[in-house]
Amino acid sequence: MTQTIDTTIYAAVSEAIQAEAKRILTAGEVTAVVGYAAARRKGSAQPIVITSAVDAQKLIFTPACVNNLAVYLTKAKKEIPKSGRIGIVVKGCDLKALVGLMGESQLKREQLYLIGVPCAGVLASTIQPDTGLTSDSIAPKCLECDAHLPQGCDFVPTQTPVSPELEKKYAAEIARLEALTPQERWAYWKEQFSKCIKCYACRQVCPFCFCEQCLCDRNKPQMVDTTPRPAGNTAWHIVRAMHLAGRCAGCAECERVCPMDIPLNLLNRKMAKELKELYDYEAGFQVNDKGPLNSYTEKDDQSFIK
Amino acid sequence: MGKTEGCKGLTKKYLPLVLTPKEFKFLFFSKVFVSSVLSVLSVANKGFRMQKYITEQNLNTLLDKLIAEGKRVVAPRMNAGTPLYEPLKNSGEIIIDQLPRRSGKEAFFPLCEDIMSYTKEGQKVELKDIDPSRFPETVLVGVRPCDAAAIPVLDAVFSWDYKDEFFLERRKKTTIVGLACTKADDACFCTAVGLSPSDTKGSDLFLTPLEGGGYACETFSDKGETLINSHAGLFSEPNNAKTVALAEPGTEAFDLQKVKAWLDEHFEDPAWDSIATRCVGCGACAFVCPACHCFDIVDEGTEKSGKRRKNWDACGFWKFTHHASGHNPRDQQPKRYRNRIMHKFKYYDDKFGQTLCTGCGRCIRLCPVGIDIAAIVEEISKK
Repeated sequence: MTQTIDTTIYAAVSEAIQAEAKRILTAGEVTAVVGYAAARRKGSAQPIVITSAVDAQKLIFTPACVNNLAVYLTKAKKEIPKSGRIGIVVKGCDLKALVGLMGESQLKREQLYLIGVPCAGVLASTIQPDTGLTSDSIAPKCLECDAHLPQGCDFVPTQTPVSPELEKKYAAEIARLEALTPQERWAYWKEQFSKCIKCYACRQVCPFCFCEQCLCDRNKPQMVDTTPRPAGNTAWHIVRAMHLAGRCAGCAECERVCPMDIPLNLLNRKMAKELKELYDYEAGFQVNDKGPLNSYTEKDDQSFIK
Repeated sequence: MGKTEGCKGLTKKYLPLVLTPKEFKFLFFSKVFVSSVLSVLSVANKGFRMQKYITEQNLNTLLDKLIAEGKRVVAPRMNAGTPLYEPLKNSGEIIIDQLPRRSGKEAFFPLCEDIMSYTKEGQKVELKDIDPSRFPETVLVGVRPCDAAAIPVLDAVFSWDYKDEFFLERRKKTTIVGLACTKADDACFCTAVGLSPSDTKGSDLFLTPLEGGGYACETFSDKGETLINSHAGLFSEPNNAKTVALAEPGTEAFDLQKVKAWLDEHFEDPAWDSIATRCVGCGACAFVCPACHCFDIVDEGTEKSGKRRKNWDACGFWKFTHHASGHNPRDQQPKRYRNRIMHKFKYYDDKFGQTLCTGCGRCIRLCPVGIDIAAIVEEISKK
């Protein structure tokens, strides 16, 4: 049954974001604010970087504000000036990526001014941007959201998001795949990876893909075949999933932007589930210098040694 | 770089020293392909030649017969939940109510194809070419006008100073059956670039859905006539049924001359930063585009044996203009995005007198960061 999701607070949230952005830019507390602005298509939004207080009125928050803007603060995005303190509009899911980036010494908390968004959810990919938010049109990640109200921000509008209990799609899909035989599972992923066109949208939007030169863009030696064929596609997606294990906190940008609808976040969620089971670790809640995969304690699971 | 920036092909022409290591490898090892100019490419779309009618059922029968004859019938079908132009196993697979996620260009210009193979044993090196004459006869069916119109645009670049025998041989062997569009969303803008949901440009045979079912058929080339004549029993004389309501994209026509005039003078302009700072540098826009045609050539395999492959490339990638020296003339994303706009609305026009965009709207729908080429061109036209 389709459930409507109440997003009426978003108008007041937008106003509060505008006022705060205007204030911090006017006071010189930040040099720029990364947020969302309305775009041409009805109901659509796109990321924007503003540096002047008069532009603060452009900032909005709607169900079409799907992006994780944390990607713009990484060193992979050389176009955004990194001088001074930068304001950024963050949903709870986006904040987890910033927490991870701080742990990996990519960002310093004092360089950021975090404008948190009380969020009831955003739209899934390939949905017409003016569609109302319902349990059908909502992004799958929002179905299992545990961060409707971001914690530890410098400013959060006072509105409280109403978030009904929704059916969790990833948990159900992971359970379905785990119940398959390895051959069946392999057939599933082979079919999905066969659609990959190597556009690297998954890499380019990922806050954790901040390598200045990706391993897969190097050709001396060529570790991963670059052509969109089974060998290179499979290698690419496995490399990606492994590099994100213990780091990805589930913003699901990779899956949202995939023009071929490959359910990439399933791989990331499966890795996160393994990390939780093996090391009782969840990415994105605390600034940690080292995750479980690059540290050792005697309590670590040793059962793989046979 | 100045005004010589363009796609790889153009860059090679003017700047023979600016080569990526892979390009250098390609030029060093590649054979010189010789291919004749194919006169069949000059499809003259000046009014239809023949008019017929076909029922939906007979259209399906036609597709099944073509498949039975051994022809490759490429049409929109679902692949693991995603609509794509792909070879049909039978007519039941065709879906006509959804715009495929990628364009029809891959019927001639596949995502990836082998162009040569090699083996090396001691000092003995053996090279083996792909024989394009083995490419199958193809019928590309259910092609939207925005996709069909891009094909003559691609002909220009693939048969220019270098004749790309892989593209041209497939092109020669393909009959294109266009289909008028009945649905548009606010990303569609074919009408803004001089086309329309019933534009027959690029089609050999064009289908228009009629009220009460079936399609009006019009031919625009020998290939289209041959297709009808070889299965004449499935077609009947045109009836007087009305055309169903066609799509009406809401975007107003761009003044493309004015856009080009601005681009001619504004290679350097602060507007590029505000337009494209948000670009994250993936290849989604180029890969779903019916008109983008840049490709890379790589060797894959081992020292002993392997294949040389041609695969899609995109000017949004950092690596696209990365030189062997380490220098990158397009060192920041706005410069790469500028190339996308320049190539579509200026360079291609300068070179071939055509616009490299047919308004399909795919790049708008699929851009990870909501970049809207129609909004950008509209903005430029108002400058």
